[in-house]
Amino acid sequence: MRRRGGTLWNWLLSAPALLVLVLAASGPLVIVLVYSFLSPGNMGGVAWEPSTDAWFRLFFKRDIFDPEVVTWNEAHLVVFWRSVSLSLQTTAICAILGFPTAWFIATRAPHRRALWLFLITIPFWTNLLVRTFAIQELIRNTGTINSLLLRLGVIGEPIQMMYTDFAVLVGMAYVFLPLMVLPLYAAMDKLDMRLVEAGYDLYGGRLQVLRHVIFPLVKPGFVAGSILVFIPAIGAYVTPRVLGGGRTMMLGNLIELQFGQGRNWPLGSAMAMLLLIVVVAALVLYLRWANAEPEQRNG
Amino acid sequence: MKDGSDGTATDAIEIVGLDKVYGQGAGAFRALTGIDLTIRSGEFFTLLGPSGCGKTTLLRVIAGFENPTEGSVRISGEEVAHLGPNKRQVNTVFQNYALFPHMTVAQNIGFGLRMLGRSRTEVAATTAEMLRLVRMEELAQRRPAELSGGQQQRVALARALAPHPRVLLLDEPLSALDLKLRKEMQGELKRLQAETGITFVFVTHDQEEALTMSDRIAVMSAGRILQRGTPHEIYHAPTERFVADFIGDTNFLTVPVVSVEAGAAQVELPGGRTAPARLPEGARPAPGAKVTVVIRPEQARLVPPGEGEMQGEVTSSVFFGTDTHVHARLTDGQDFVLRRQNAGELADPSPGDRIGLALGDGVLRVLKD
Ligand SMILES: Nc1ncnc2c1ncn2[C@@H]1O[C@H](COP(=O)(O)OP(=O)(O)OP(=O)(O)O)[C@@H](O)[C@H]1O
Ligand SMILES: [Mg+2]
Repeated sequence: MRRRGGTLWNWLLSAPALLVLVLAASGPLVIVLVYSFLSPGNMGGVAWEPSTDAWFRLFFKRDIFDPEVVTWNEAHLVVFWRSVSLSLQTTAICAILGFPTAWFIATRAPHRRALWLFLITIPFWTNLLVRTFAIQELIRNTGTINSLLLRLGVIGEPIQMMYTDFAVLVGMAYVFLPLMVLPLYAAMDKLDMRLVEAGYDLYGGRLQVLRHVIFPLVKPGFVAGSILVFIPAIGAYVTPRVLGGGRTMMLGNLIELQFGQGRNWPLGSAMAMLLLIVVVAALVLYLRWANAEPEQRNG
Repeated sequence: MKDGSDGTATDAIEIVGLDKVYGQGAGAFRALTGIDLTIRSGEFFTLLGPSGCGKTTLLRVIAGFENPTEGSVRISGEEVAHLGPNKRQVNTVFQNYALFPHMTVAQNIGFGLRMLGRSRTEVAATTAEMLRLVRMEELAQRRPAELSGGQQQRVALARALAPHPRVLLLDEPLSALDLKLRKEMQGELKRLQAETGITFVFVTHDQEEALTMSDRIAVMSAGRILQRGTPHEIYHAPTERFVADFIGDTNFLTVPVVSVEAGAAQVELPGGRTAPARLPEGARPAPGAKVTVVIRPEQARLVPPGEGEMQGEVTSSVFFGTDTHVHARLTDGQDFVLRRQNAGELADPSPGDRIGLALGDGVLRVLKD
């Protein structure tokens, strides 16, 4: 297959793709990385003075009066923690809701499945902002749920759901659920139902068959779905912005703040890099864990 | 129960008046009709029939994967209508084996016992015993994807046998194997059945496989059981045209009845000679009525013209090595195939030759209408 002079030819052939890759992916990344090691400009932007201040301020802050006194930057840490925690919870909720949903679709008659899949993907056709406002309409103090509960006399005064972690969680779970359902469905679609029957035949109860036969076999779907949900969740911007307001910021909002009002581009860049590092680290750890399972090896 | 020590003569499986209809309304399909079947304990029982006749459906009803529309199923005397597959002491060897791909051979075999909550030591001991039984000790740690078809077959057998079920259901377990392996596994299956003493219900559409392996056979067609009996009975005394046709090669002759005695009739053969033919149970055709009699090709002998019960003219002969099939037209125009054993180097008759056909004693059978 390999001809003489093939190497150069191969490089030439892949040049356009490489160019796009370099310009579109690596380029911005390098810029962000470089910015994170510069000083903030007066009116936003950066000043070309090397500094590690941004990375320092990610986690720490200096006392205004005595720069020698260093404390944790709790405001940032709280946001980091909330981002990780809410994203993990979102992933878990999506997995718990997504599994039965995908199972339901996968066990319909073949000609019906397309319709159900279509219904699952309908939200993708609507703007994210619109969908998020729809959730807001449901959970705000004078929204559908509260009005209904008030009228039924279940509660005496509206439950405060907007601008809480709960609101953000509901919004993200709703928005990202299809990303879990689709890969799970793909895995279940490939699942040989005779294996499930074999499990029942060999004295497995429902839960046992679920645990020992179905779960291990659809695990690749779980892995793919978790990645697809977790990554956009941890960088989410719109949902926490609309449903969480200023009180329940996530990383995406914090980053936006640095480039906007905060006028601290280096800090924003450092945060963006941190987000990237967290995502990559999470991905590596997760895949290593997922592949280490003995039952997974044979795929 | 584990060693089948109940000692009573309960039948392993008793099916009465079973109907199975798939779907409802206009799309409904009747897959089984009026199945009555008794399978004795320790028997090697075969369901034989062409594709689509309902063999798999019947197995699935016994296993508990399908609910009967009508009728009852008893396993070891116990009505099982309300029991799921996991509550029936019946295991299935699936046609495509359905081995768990994420488990090793040993884990596959131990699965049933683990689900039953048996102790680790018992699971390990039984797994080892099963591995030995199917001669797979060396491959215990392999995964199904790393096994050949025949090896997967053995694992599937071991997995189904490990919990020591009362009945083992086998759905065309050999159909995916090549001829040589198939013959080998046929012997293996017989050996396993003898060693474990478990009742085997075996599904096949291969008549030879059915004849060589079974204690008893039920021949199915279009959702019904047409005839059941030992391989000898099925082969030598088919009661229906379908059974005679499906199993082995057969000559059908339409002949008039001359007289009827108990269990047998004198029929007039082509050419005018009369011969006795056994009647199926309950049949009493009137003298003069036309009936169909069957006779196997090897049950007629080639004799010089003028001798034997019937006369004919050879239309063709086909040499098969061990035997020669002689196709002849009888005096009244009906066709007849005769199989001659080539005991020595015999000349084959050529088209146009006049021959006589001698019938063995009592080989003619009258079919049910
Ligand atoms: N789930 C189902 N829904 C509707 N019809 C079915 C279903 N399963 C089987 N059938 C029909 O019932 C009939 C019997 O099917 P079954 O699988 O029992 O046949 P079989 O004897 O096992 O055939 P084969 O030798 O090809 O395996 C077939 O006509 C089939 O189309
Ligand atoms: Mg079948």
